Amino acid sequence: MSSMSDRKAELERKKAKLQALREEKDRRRREKEQKDAEEALQRASAASSLDSRRDLDEMLSSLGVAPVKDVLSSLSSMTSLTPPQTSSPDASLPHTDKSSLPASGGPKKPTQLQVVSVQSTDIPPKENVTYAKQTQTTASGVSELRDGYMEDWWRPRKAHATDYYVLTFDGDVARQGDEEDAAFHGKLPPGILPHGLPTVKEVQPAVTAAPPEKKDDEKEKKVRELSADEKQTILLSSEFQRFMSRAGRVIERALAESVDIYTDYTGGGDGENALDDKSDARLSLVRTFYDERWSRGRCVTCLDWSTAHPELMLASYHNSDDAPHDPDGVCLVWNTKFKKNTPEDIFHCQSPVMSATFARFHPNLILGGTYSGQIVLWDNRVQKRTPIKRTPLSSLAHTHPVYCLSVVGSQNAHNLISVSTDGRLCSWSLDMLSQPQETLDLQHRQSKAVAVTSMGFPHGLVNNFVLGSEDGNVYTGCLYGQRAGVTECVEAHAGPVTGVSCHAAAGAVDLAHLYLTCSMDWSVKLWSLKENKPLYSFEDNGDYVVDVRWSPTHPALFAAADAAGKLDLWNLNRDTEVPVASIQAEGGVAFNRVSWTPSGSHVTAGDDHGKIWVYELAEHVAQPRHDEWSKFVYTLQELRNNQADEESERVSLAASGPSSLTSLTSLASNPLR
Amino acid sequence: MANEAEETVRKLSAHKGVVGVVVVNGEGIPIKTTLDNHISVQYAGLMTALIDKAKAVVRDLDPSNDLTFLRIRSKKSEVMVAPDKDFILIVVQNPVE
Repeated sequence: MSSMSDRKAELERKKAKLQALREEKDRRRREKEQKDAEEALQRASAASSLDSRRDLDEMLSSLGVAPVKDVLSSLSSMTSLTPPQTSSPDASLPHTDKSSLPASGGPKKPTQLQVVSVQSTDIPPKENVTYAKQTQTTASGVSELRDGYMEDWWRPRKAHATDYYVLTFDGDVARQGDEEDAAFHGKLPPGILPHGLPTVKEVQPAVTAAPPEKKDDEKEKKVRELSADEKQTILLSSEFQRFMSRAGRVIERALAESVDIYTDYTGGGDGENALDDKSDARLSLVRTFYDERWSRGRCVTCLDWSTAHPELMLASYHNSDDAPHDPDGVCLVWNTKFKKNTPEDIFHCQSPVMSATFARFHPNLILGGTYSGQIVLWDNRVQKRTPIKRTPLSSLAHTHPVYCLSVVGSQNAHNLISVSTDGRLCSWSLDMLSQPQETLDLQHRQSKAVAVTSMGFPHGLVNNFVLGSEDGNVYTGCLYGQRAGVTECVEAHAGPVTGVSCHAAAGAVDLAHLYLTCSMDWSVKLWSLKENKPLYSFEDNGDYVVDVRWSPTHPALFAAADAAGKLDLWNLNRDTEVPVASIQAEGGVAFNRVSWTPSGSHVTAGDDHGKIWVYELAEHVAQPRHDEWSKFVYTLQELRNNQADEESERVSLAASGPSSLTSLTSLASNPLR
Repeated sequence: MANEAEETVRKLSAHKGVVGVVVVNGEGIPIKTTLDNHISVQYAGLMTALIDKAKAVVRDLDPSNDLTFLRIRSKKSEVMVAPDKDFILIVVQNPVE
C-alpha cells in the first residue's frame, strides 16, 4: 500500500512539473508572438523600401522567424481585434486586399428601381398528411357521408336521423381549409397527433348501416336470376366452354346407357323373340350415325378408324348445298362404344374434305385432305374445331384435290403420304407441314399424269403402293429408291376406279400380294401384284361399285358397296358367284364409302346424304376358322385353274365367238349410262 | 364458342327421356336451364348442397379422391349430376320405358 501511495505521489509531482513546463512554454511563445507583431507593425508603418524589407526578411528567416509578409497575412484575420490600420500598403498585400474589399462593401452603387411585371405561378402548398386511428375512420366516414349525401340529396333529411355525433381529433379539417393549421400540422413529425381542442363532427356509424344492405343484396341475387350480361360473360368464358364439353360428353354417355339395372327376370319376358330373329341374320343394321346440323346433305367421302381407340370412327364429309353458311369441309368422330347418337368431336375447314385419317402413332391428331389441295391437321385436345395446322397451297405441294391420304411407316419413322388427282405424290413429316419432304410426280411412260382416285398399301410392304385412277387403269409402284414412281400399269376397268383395297388379314400364309379394285363399270376385280391379269371379276352389281374393303380378320371375306345402296359381303371360301350376304339400305340412298371395324365384326357404310350405316355381322360370318387361310389358297388356285380352262375354251371356240366375251362387252358398254 | 355450349345443352335436352338440363355456377345460381325458373332454382340450390356434401364424403374417405359424378335414382326420375370446380351440370330424366 505504501509503495502505491509513493508512486501516486511521484506521479502527482511529475504531472505538476509537466504542467509548469507547459505553462512556461506557452507564456514564452505568447510574449514572442506579441513582440514579433509589434515589431512587424512598427516596420510596416515605417513604410520602408522594398529592398530593405527583403533584407530584413532574409535576416529574419535566417534567425528562424517567419517573414514579415506571412505574419502580416495572418494578422489581417485579426483586424477586428487589432486597431484598424489606416495606411496598409496595397502592393505588399495583394491577397488581403482582394478578400477584404468586397466584404467591406466598398463599391456601393445607388440602386435604381424599376417596375417589372412578374409572372406569378401558383404552387399549392405541400399536402402534409398525418395519420392517426381516429383520423382515418373519420376521413372514410366523412367521404362516405358526403357520397351518400350527394346521391341522396333528394331524400328527406330524416334519412340521416340515425347519424351519430362523434368527437374527433380531425386532421382532415386542416387539409380542407385552415392554412395556418396546415402549416402547423406540417411541422409536426408524422405519427404525432395534433394537439388542440377536439372538434365535433357528423360521422356515420361505420359498421352498422352499410354492410347489412350489401348482404341483403347478395341474398336477393341468390333468389333472382343473374342478369343477361352476367350470364353471357359466364357462357363465353373458356372455363365454362371446357366444362360443358367435358360434362356434356359424360352425361351423354350416361344417358345413352340403356342398361336397366332393375331388370326383373322372374317376370314374364316378351323381348326374347326379337333376339332370336336377329341372330339368324348374317348382316343386320344396328345403328346409324347422323348429325342434323353437320352431316345432313353431305356425302361421306372417307372413313377411318383410330388405332389407339378402336371404337372411334372418323368420317369426312363433302360440302352441303343446304348449308351454304356452314364450312364446306366437315370431319366428325363417332363413337361406336356408347350408344349416344351425336359425334364425339366435330371439326371443319373451308374446303370439302375428300380424305381423312387418324394420324397413326399420334392418337390426338386427325388429318384431312381437301378439295383445294391443302392438307389440314386437327387436334382433339384443343378446344377448336378449325385446323391447327395446314399445308400451304403452293406449287411445291398439292394444287389439286387430295383423294388419298395415309400415314405409313413405323412408330419411329413414319410419313404422311398424300396423292392429288394431278398425280403428285407428297411425303410429309407430321412435324413440318410447311413443305413436303419429298414430292413425286406420278406419270406413266412420261406421257400423262396419273389422275389418282384411290390408293392402297400392301400389308407389310411400306415401299409399294397400288393406285386406282380415273382412266380405269391400276398402277403399281414404289415410294422410294431409284425406281420411285409408277412401275407398272394394268388396264383394269372400263370406268374410273373408285376403290382399291389390299389384303388385310395377316395369317399363316402370306397373301399381301392380293388386292381388290372396284369401278364405275359395275365390277369388282381381284388381283395379285405378281400378275397383270385379274384373278377374278365379280359382276353381281347393277350399279357403280363405289368401294370395296377386305375384312381385317377374315382372309376370304370382303365387303363391297354400290351406288344403289346395296352392301354385299363376299366370302370367297364359300362362294365366288354370289355374295354370302347382302343388304339394301332404306331411303334410296347411294353408298359412297365402306369400312370395317378393327375387330371385323361390323361393317360401316357412308352414303351420299351424310348418314353412316353400321351393320353387324353374325359371328359365324365374321370370325374365320383356323383353316380359312389354307382354304383360301386352295380357292385361289381353283380360280386360276378356271381361268386357264376358260382361256383354252375361248381359244377352241374362237370361231364361234365366246359367250362370256359378249356378255363382258355388253356390261362394259352399259355402266356409263 | 358460345353456341357449342348451347349445342351441348340442346343435344342433351333432345335426348329421349330427358326432362330438363340445368347448368349451375359455383355460387349455386342457375346460368342455363331448360326448366321453369323456380324449379331450376330449387334444383340448383339443393344439388349444390348435396354435391358439397358428397364431395366432403368422398374426400373424407380418401383425401386424394374427388367426386366426379352423381346419379340419383328415384321412383319417378333419375338425376345425373356432373360436378366440376366451377360449375355443375344437372340432367333430369325419366326412367327408360
